[in-house]
Parts: sequence; structure tokens; C-alpha cells
Amino acid sequence: MSDNKMAEKDGRSKKEATSSDSGATDPNGVQNGEDLYPLALLMDELKHDDIGNRVEAMKKLDTIAIALGPQRARDELVPFLTEVAQDDEDEVFAVLAEQLGKFVPFIGGSKFATLLLPALEILASTEETLVRDKAVESLNNVAQELSEDQLFHDFIPLIEHLATADWFSSKVSSCGLFRSVLARVKDDKFRKELLALYLQLVQDETPMVRRAAGKNLPVLIDLLTQNPDLSTSDDWDYISNMFQKIIGDTQDSVKFLAVDVLVSILKFFNKKNDTTHAKDLLRSAIQLITDEAWRVRYMAAERFEDLASQFKSNPQYIDELSGPFLALCEDNESDVRKGVAKQLPGFSKLLGDPQVVLKKVLPAVQNLSMDESELVRASLASEITNLAPLIPKQDAIDSLIPILLNMLKDEYPDVRLNIIAKLKVVNEVVGIDLLSESLLPAITELAKDVNWRVRMAIIDYIPLLAEQLGVEFFDQQLGDLCLSWLWDTVYSIRSAAVVNLKNLTKIFGSDWSSEKIISRLLKSDSQLLENFVYRITLLSALTELVPVVSAEVTTQKILPFINHLADDAVPNIRFNVAQSYVVVLESLRADKDKYKELINRSILSSLEKLREDSDIDVRYFANRSLERCQALLA
Amino acid sequence: MEIDNDVAMQDVTEERLDPTLDEDASAELHDGANSSEGPGASGIADHKASKPLQLDAGNIGQLDQWIEHLGKCQVLSEEDVARLCKMAVDVLQFEENVQPVNVPVTICGDVHGQFHDLMELFKIGGPCPDTNYLFMGDYVDRGYYSVETVSYLVAMKVRYPKRITILRGNHESRQITQVYGFYDECLRKYGSANVWKMFTDLFDYFPITALVDNKVFCLHGGLSPMIETVDQVRELNRIQEVPHEGPMCDLLWSDPDDRGGWGISPRGAGFTFGQDISEQFNHTNDLSLIARAHQLVMEGYAWSHQQNVVTIFSAPNYCYRCGNQAAIMEFDENHNRQFLQYDPSMRPGEPTVSRKTPDYFL
Repeated sequence: MSDNKMAEKDGRSKKEATSSDSGATDPNGVQNGEDLYPLALLMDELKHDDIGNRVEAMKKLDTIAIALGPQRARDELVPFLTEVAQDDEDEVFAVLAEQLGKFVPFIGGSKFATLLLPALEILASTEETLVRDKAVESLNNVAQELSEDQLFHDFIPLIEHLATADWFSSKVSSCGLFRSVLARVKDDKFRKELLALYLQLVQDETPMVRRAAGKNLPVLIDLLTQNPDLSTSDDWDYISNMFQKIIGDTQDSVKFLAVDVLVSILKFFNKKNDTTHAKDLLRSAIQLITDEAWRVRYMAAERFEDLASQFKSNPQYIDELSGPFLALCEDNESDVRKGVAKQLPGFSKLLGDPQVVLKKVLPAVQNLSMDESELVRASLASEITNLAPLIPKQDAIDSLIPILLNMLKDEYPDVRLNIIAKLKVVNEVVGIDLLSESLLPAITELAKDVNWRVRMAIIDYIPLLAEQLGVEFFDQQLGDLCLSWLWDTVYSIRSAAVVNLKNLTKIFGSDWSSEKIISRLLKSDSQLLENFVYRITLLSALTELVPVVSAEVTTQKILPFINHLADDAVPNIRFNVAQSYVVVLESLRADKDKYKELINRSILSSLEKLREDSDIDVRYFANRSLERCQALLA
Repeated sequence: MEIDNDVAMQDVTEERLDPTLDEDASAELHDGANSSEGPGASGIADHKASKPLQLDAGNIGQLDQWIEHLGKCQVLSEEDVARLCKMAVDVLQFEENVQPVNVPVTICGDVHGQFHDLMELFKIGGPCPDTNYLFMGDYVDRGYYSVETVSYLVAMKVRYPKRITILRGNHESRQITQVYGFYDECLRKYGSANVWKMFTDLFDYFPITALVDNKVFCLHGGLSPMIETVDQVRELNRIQEVPHEGPMCDLLWSDPDDRGGWGISPRGAGFTFGQDISEQFNHTNDLSLIARAHQLVMEGYAWSHQQNVVTIFSAPNYCYRCGNQAAIMEFDENHNRQFLQYDPSMRPGEPTVSRKTPDYFL
């Protein structure tokens, strides 16, 4: 509430300021006491006892800054905020840190941007991670606006200051700032100094700093990759040194960052087409993949395809990686296996030779498909189908399909769903007949799962399957299932079933829908129709189909049914009928002359009657529909 | 699972009869909110209309906009809550103590501020107004989104008064909400108790029971030794804070029990009643069933008294830790009953736990 009031008052004081300007009696009108109001108000709110008020006030900082104008924002607001940054609570700091990142336009543009640095530097040194992260992000935003000169005189000294502070929190923040300057420093000597400073951070005594340095290093290397001609061999001596320090770190949580660093280094040399270091780097890669700490192996497993693909120009190297890769598939830690299970098709593609994939990878797939951890199996299931195109068709049928079928029977639903969601690629290889024969039992079972979200996932997949299977097969095998979902006890399933029928009609056409769906729906058991839920579902299914079937089907089959429900005993049905009429009219509009009589006789007259209904909601929806119909006909 | 045993206010500060979730419930009450400004202080009922609220295009548009906003679990502004509550007074004051409800209708139990699970409920039972709903109280307290939950339901009530019925539960009370969370939530989300005052003033107007097609008697708690016929409920003056004793209190607080006759409730308010009482009440009033909420049941619903009474509870994984299922009851035109059970919704933004708790922790 107080926000609104504040904004209102701001608005008013702005107006007063401009009116005193235009009055021109007092050229210093802007300086009068009246206009101090926004700043005074902010200061008041920032002294409020309740931290919630202080946070809210901080969020309105941009409004205040605009009200003050650039000059006063620089002279009064920024110094004030620099003070606030030293004396409040973390929640307020977090908002302040974020706001300052967007502040450059309010203080008169990039020329003055360095004025924001002192406050942000203080915030980047706080102990609370959230505040620091926001401050670093804002500092990087501000740095974008700075000229090269400003970077040298203000921003780089700030980085040095933070990086050499006593307390770890400042050093951690400094690691995130190098990205703003590294590629913009064209002077080799300066860049070397920066990297020397970074090397110190990589070797810092506290693991928190080393971790931050390791985490940010790939970004820095990627910057050099984007500017391939910038860096010198001296620079790379430093980077190599950093990598060696990280890969040799005593803390697992630092060492595992070496994987991403290595990938970035490899990308740089690949971009330069420089293979002189490839052998050494391969050795490092293998060292990481086989590290004794599971966290490091996990990271290597997660990044395996990315890492291995950096060596793809040399088949020999890929081959050397296959041993360590298969070892990861049999790792003791389930998280490692989970990571590598997703990499199987990607790495198989790099291996290239179908026979190697068959002999080496498939046995590993077989084992992982029966892994004791369901998370490993689900992870494998999400990618395994992509193996199909990589091996000869007959082998896919003989070796891969049996594994897939077993996984379709997995007790854990995610495994089954992941397989089904990606079957298309298998279909392309082995053909639909074989696939569907083995697939259907699994689908039917999932379609009856007790968890409605599993049933939902299957429904979502049906149109895709229908396209692949073709109409004949679909009618025989899945038609009944699709109709049965309409009578599910859970509304969301019924509603998805309705949308599914629409999608199927889009695929198989109006005639098919009329014969196989609509006729069957209209023949529903009269006993079923005694139940409200059945009637409203039927109404919604037929209405949903109107836009995708021919006008003939609509007028001859669907509209009579809707008319029939117009005097249903339950008002909820009647007001849905009123809404259905608009959908019908929309689809008949193109031929409105041809159907003029029908529109007047059944739709409009029925709506007129519903307007006089005893139920208020029926009257409301009938009136609304009638208005829409008249607009459509006009 | 003693978690559901709320304790009536007079006992909160005296003696604890049962261990409950809120061990700190005996903390001091916010007397300031009570003594300085009593019921009606919010002013939402200062200008009551003499006939039920008529919706026009303007306020329908406004309500639809609020419902859409609230549907995203975002609170209304304090001014909008005031406007909503004023409109709601002019709808609810004209409802009866025993509000007649038509079939088909879907009957629901406690929600307790579990907003995302309320949205899940609509996914299971169907959206309102296409489906008619009857909620049997306890919209606020304990869950983290009491404000959003009660605002949403009240907005639906004002927009579609014939499609949704909201009864009063024992938590729709000034005293109870100060202990179990709604008061604090309002303070946290609005910075003052104003919204709490408006809603608790509005709660006084909620109907206390409903009668579905003259056959199913619905209420939050249970029967009262002072009430033998439904007509006696019609004679009560319900527009007041939930009293500490007497028939209105009992209707919102009582529980069915395996023992026959009337018993003293461990909750400190209301009574326990046996199968003989339920059978007699249903026979006297030509009823087929008493549907009530108020108690946590692990399956979401539970029959008692040889199907004379059913308990329905619609807050899955109650208090985010009980592990119970929730349920709603569909009651169709032919008086067929169908129970739909459901589990907690998947909540956006919450991390899914990939690692199971190791066995040795269990």
C-alpha cells in the first residue's frame, strides 16, 4: 500500500517541480524545499523499523532517481546510497545491489558510471552470497558502459582491490569480474598482469576462493576463444599453470571444476587448429575420467560427449577414450552411471564404427538397462533410442529392441515414459510393424496406470504415435483406448482425451472422425447419459471437434446433439450449450447464407430461449454468446 | 496422527489436552487486535445492501480479473480485498444457516491454505463453474497460502454464487486464526492486520451448514446435543464470532466417535457423538447422509457410523508432512457418490529430490 502512496506522491512532486519551472519566476525553483521531498521520503522509509518497508522503498529507487534528475541523483542520492550500503541488513543490500546495476541512465550516462563503483564494491565484499552475487552482476553490467579509459582507471583497480583483500568474500567476488575486462584489454602487459592476479586466486589458501576461480575460468578462456588472435603464448603459460593447479587441488569440490576448464582449453586449440598439445590434454582428460574422487568422475561423465568430441579429429584418441568410458558405465557410484548413461549415443556416434558400437557399447547398455538404481535406468531411457540409427537394422532388431521392450516393462514409470517419448527414431529404423507389435502392451498398461499424470503423458503421446502407425492400425489397436479416456474419473484426463480426439481428427480427417468417433459417441449408452459428468464431457468433446470437421458433420450430427442438451435439467450443461453455439456458428460463418435458416431456427432461437432461463449463469452465458453470434453474423 | 486436533481457544491458554503440531500455540494472543477493535472494525459490513448483490458487466469484469490474478497465486491489493469482502457480504448475508444446494455437486473438506493443492483439486474435479462445488470450511491456517486460498474461493463465490457454496469451519474465526497462521500470514503479506480483520469479519456471514437435495446434511464439524432437527439450525443467529459453546460452536467443532451417545471432546469445544446419535438425526430429518470435514483421514475420506457419516479431507500431505491422500466426493443427480482421491500437486520452483533418503536414516 505504502508503495502506491509513495509513487503517487512522487508523481505529484514531479508535477509541482515542472510547474515551478514553467512559472519561470524562480530559476532555482528545482532547488526549493518542496522538491527535496522524494529523497526525504526515501530516507524516511529507509529508516523504517520494519525491514519489509525498507526493502519496498529500495525497490522504488529508480522512481526516486528519475524524480531527482541526473544531477541530483549523482550529487545526493548516490553518496547517500553508498552510506546505506554500509549500514543495513542483507535483504536491503540485495535489492540495492540489483538496482545499482540499472542505474547508469539515471545518473547521466556512462560518463558518470564510475560513481556507482564505491557502493557496489562495498556490497561485493559483504558476507552474504546473495548480496555479493547481485553486486558482481551489477558491476559487470556497469562495466559494459565504461570506456577503456574508465576500465583502466577505476574498474581494474577495483578488481585488484577485491582480489587482494584480507577476507575471502571479496576475493570470491573478484573472480566474477575478470570477464568484463579480460578481452577488452588490448595491451599484452596489462592482460598478463590480470592473469597473474587470477593465478593467485586459483592458488588461494581458502577453498571457497579457489572454487570461485575455477568456476569462472572457463568463461575467461571462452572469451579468448572468441578473440583467437588476442592472447599470447605467455597468457597460455598462465592458463596452463592454472589448469595444473586446479586438476591437482586437494579438494574434490575444486578439482572437479577442471573438467569444464579442460573443455574450454580444448575448444580454444581446436579453433586455432593447433594440435601440439592434444596428446597432453588427452592424458589430462583420462586422468580426470579415472580420478579416484567420485565427484570428479561424475563431472567427467556428465560432460563426456562434450569432452570427447573435442578430440574427434583424431580417431586414435577417441579409441583411447573408449576404455575409460566403459569403466564409467560400471562405476560404483550410481550418480556417475546416471551421468554417463545419457552420453552413450553421443559417444557412440564419435566412435563411428557400427561394429565397435555393437561389441563395446551395447553390452554396457544391456547392463545399465538393468541397473539397480531407477534414476540410472531413467537417464539411460531418455537417450537410448538414439542408438538405433548408429547400428545396422538387423542388429537393432536383434539386440536393441529387446532391451527397449524390457525397459518398457520397467516398474518405474519415468523409465517407460522416457522410452515412449523418443520412439520415433526407433520407428524410422526398424519400421512400425515390428515396433507396434511389441509396443502396444506397454502402452495399454501405462494407459491404466493409477497415477493420472502417467496416463496424461501417454495421451499426450498418442497423436505422435497415430501419425507413425497410420489409420488402419490405429483403429484396430488404439481407437477404443482413446474413447475410454473420455470416461476417466479425473477431469484433467477427460479434458486431455477431448483435445486428443481433436488432434487425431486433424491427422485422419473429418470423414474418419465422423465415422469412428462422432458416430460412436452419439451412440453412447443412454444409461451413461443419465450422469452429468458424461453429458458434459460428451458436449465438450463434440464442441471441440466442430472446428476440425466439415460443416456437414457439424450440422447433421453435432448440432442436433447440442440442441438436445439445451433443455437439460442441469444448468451447468445449459450454459455450456450456450457457449458451444458460438463455436458452431464460427465454423458455419463461411457458409452463412447456406445455413441461414438453420442458424436462425436452431442456434439463435435456442439462445433467445436460454436468455430467459431461470438460472443466472445460464442467462449470463446465453447473453454473451448471443452478442458474439450477432457480431459474427454482422 | 494427532495433528488435526485443534484446541479451542479457552483451552489454548489453560491446559493442553493433546499434543498438536503447533507446540507454541499457547503463545500469547495478539490481544491488541482484539480488545482495541472488535468484530466489524474492518468496516466491510458498514453499508450492507438490502437485497442480494446484482452483478453487472463492470463488476463481472473486475471479478474475472481478480480470479485470474489469484489463480496465479498472487494476492490482491488491500483495497481490492476490501471491495471483494464488501461484495461478498452482500452475497453471503442472504444465504441461509442451512443453505440449500442442488445436485450434481462435488463436496470438499479442509483446504488449509494449501493453494497449489486446491488448484490440483480443480484439476481432478473439473473447473468451476462447469462443476458445482461445496466446500465445508477450514480454508485458512497451517498452509502457506491462506490469503490466496480464501481470496480465491470468496472471489469465485461472489462471481458464481449458484455454482459454489462455502461453509464456515472452526478455523474461520478471529481467535483460531491468531494462533494457527492466518493472522501472521496477513501481517507478513500486507504489513498490517487490516486484511485479516476484513476476512474474519466476513467469516461471520458464511453459512454454517448446507443441505444437498434435502438428503445430505453438510457441515464442518458434527452434531450438537442441542440440535435435533435441521429446522433448529435455521433458527440460530449465525452472524457472530464462533462462540465457545452452544449449538453453533458444536456444529463447527464436534467429531463422530466409535462410542455411543454424547462424549466430551478432547478438543475442548464441541462434543463427540456416536452412531446412535447419527442414525437418530438422519431418521428424524429424512436424511441419507451427514457429510463433514474437520478431521485428517489418511485416505482422504472415511466412512463412519455404518455409512451414516462420511469425513472428507481435501488437504493432501497435510501441513506438508502428514503423507495423507486427499479426497473429494462427487454426488450426482441420481444421488450416486463417487470419491476421487489425489496426491499433492507438483509445486513449481521446488527442487525435486533426486537422492532418496538412505536406508540408514529410516
